[in-house]
Amino acid sequence: MSLELCNETAPALAQVRQSLVSLIKQADRAGANALLNSWAAHHGYEQVFKELLEPALIGIGESITGEKHTLAQAYVAAKVAEDMLTRAVNQPGAIDHDEPAKGPVVLGNPEGDFHALGRRMVATMLRSKGWLIHDLGNDVPAEEFIGQALATGARIIGVSAMTMTTAQGIRALRQEIDARGLRGRIQLAVGGAVFLVMPGLAEDVGGDGTASSMFAAPALFDRLWQASLQAELSHA
Amino acid sequence: MHSAMRFANLLRDQPTDRRLFTLVLSLYGARLTACPLDQHYTDPLAYARGQSAVRETFQPDVLFAPVAVALIGAAFGGRLRYLTSNAPTLAQPAIESAGEWQDLNIPDPERQPHLVFVREALRRMVAEHRDQVPVAALFLTPVDIPMLVMGMDAWMDTVLFDRPAAQRIARSLIPFFVTMTNGYLDDGAAYVILPCAFASPGIVPRTIAEQFSRPIMAEALAQLRGPVALHHLDPPLLPHLDLLADLPAVGGFSLASADSLSQARSLLGRQPILLGGPEVRLLRQGTSGEVEATCRAVLEDRRDDPRFILCNSGADLWLDTPPENIHAVRRAVESWASER
Repeated sequence: MSLELCNETAPALAQVRQSLVSLIKQADRAGANALLNSWAAHHGYEQVFKELLEPALIGIGESITGEKHTLAQAYVAAKVAEDMLTRAVNQPGAIDHDEPAKGPVVLGNPEGDFHALGRRMVATMLRSKGWLIHDLGNDVPAEEFIGQALATGARIIGVSAMTMTTAQGIRALRQEIDARGLRGRIQLAVGGAVFLVMPGLAEDVGGDGTASSMFAAPALFDRLWQASLQAELSHA
Repeated sequence: MHSAMRFANLLRDQPTDRRLFTLVLSLYGARLTACPLDQHYTDPLAYARGQSAVRETFQPDVLFAPVAVALIGAAFGGRLRYLTSNAPTLAQPAIESAGEWQDLNIPDPERQPHLVFVREALRRMVAEHRDQVPVAALFLTPVDIPMLVMGMDAWMDTVLFDRPAAQRIARSLIPFFVTMTNGYLDDGAAYVILPCAFASPGIVPRTIAEQFSRPIMAEALAQLRGPVALHHLDPPLLPHLDLLADLPAVGGFSLASADSLSQARSLLGRQPILLGGPEVRLLRQGTSGEVEATCRAVLEDRRDDPRFILCNSGADLWLDTPPENIHAVRRAVESWASER
């Protein structure tokens, strides 16, 4: 499949986006990368992210929620975003650095949770939107989450849990945040498979917010970051 | 009529005194015997004692050998973490990429301690209950075992982006799968439950289920000496059910609460046993009245479908599931039968 594009013959942007969505849904990582590379060669990486990749990922996120959700498709989307980020980072001048990076934020799975896939995909989505991530990995104690957040100046701790049992472990983190007087200043984002099937669980374990999919995570983090700033202002 | 007779009659299309029901109470046995979970999942005698307590307390028509898939990953060399309120989990897979597979030793089903534990627990349960209550065992198909050996990320990556390697790995597991599953059947398991991850509509698109998972499953299942039941795992299975309908050795399908049992029956024909019912979350958090009402609605839906077993959807019941909710399932089955 030839995906060469040029300014004169480029199909409408909407069509290219649709092609990208289709390739990702077919798990055609190579095809998606070829399409993005071709677009980047003519329009630059900045435009690829803003006009092609981000809208496509949002479209995929909207179309694969609910019963149509396929883990493999979300995984391919994250991989394509990761591939693009890697290339852009390694390409001097590829990204406009006038826009400040967001964050930092801390991510991890709670104690006893070893399901890394969801967390890694969320991290990729956040990085693609400019967030600086400190990924603490699996099986992270509450103290370590908070210690790392304080050490790095993170205003958000994102916790990914796969099961009800490990999600319950987030309560300990909530209690620790509150006990140290950090409620509001440090926002607690929670997510993972169990939160999708148990409405109300995020509030129940003390989360400040959750997202329906990895595609919705950047908007959640934007909101929580603002909430943290406002909380700090109100305490000042 | 005891449970083994009901089960036999169900298979022979003979009448039963009431509908069969069961719940996956593998973990719950530890609660009934106050057994620490590290012992529950390592000591066959302790596990079997828990299932005897399950039978005595709730009288389900099918009992379950250990439901702890992390043990399979640990058998390959993964690091296991025993938990205080759930089945053990894998803290670290044995390998991290498909490239390491060639140096991996397939565990010996007769000697590997985690595998021997499951076999021995099954044998003890069969020896104690088989005359009166069937015992089911659980294993994974060759397309799903690798996610426990190399982790979900690495296996997903391999299936999506290096299909020849994925096929090579999955095919290399067929003899192990056949030995283990036939071993369970030889030990007296009434059937073996096989959760479907890489054939699930929630995990992979249809093309992967059709072109990768199905052919390998067909090759593996054709070598079995007894029946298996394919399990929905967590998401609904219906969108891929047609791909799994005519696989060899498949005698039943355990479906999600969101699956339409009527549509499944229409698609599968009258022969396969269908299993379905309240999901584990309702059993844990609902009231006994809600559980009983849900069970009765399912039984009513299956009124003209004799080849049906009421069974929870989802996985093993949570340790803190209220016992009255489990009793409510049996009460629904008994009261529904008495009203007919």
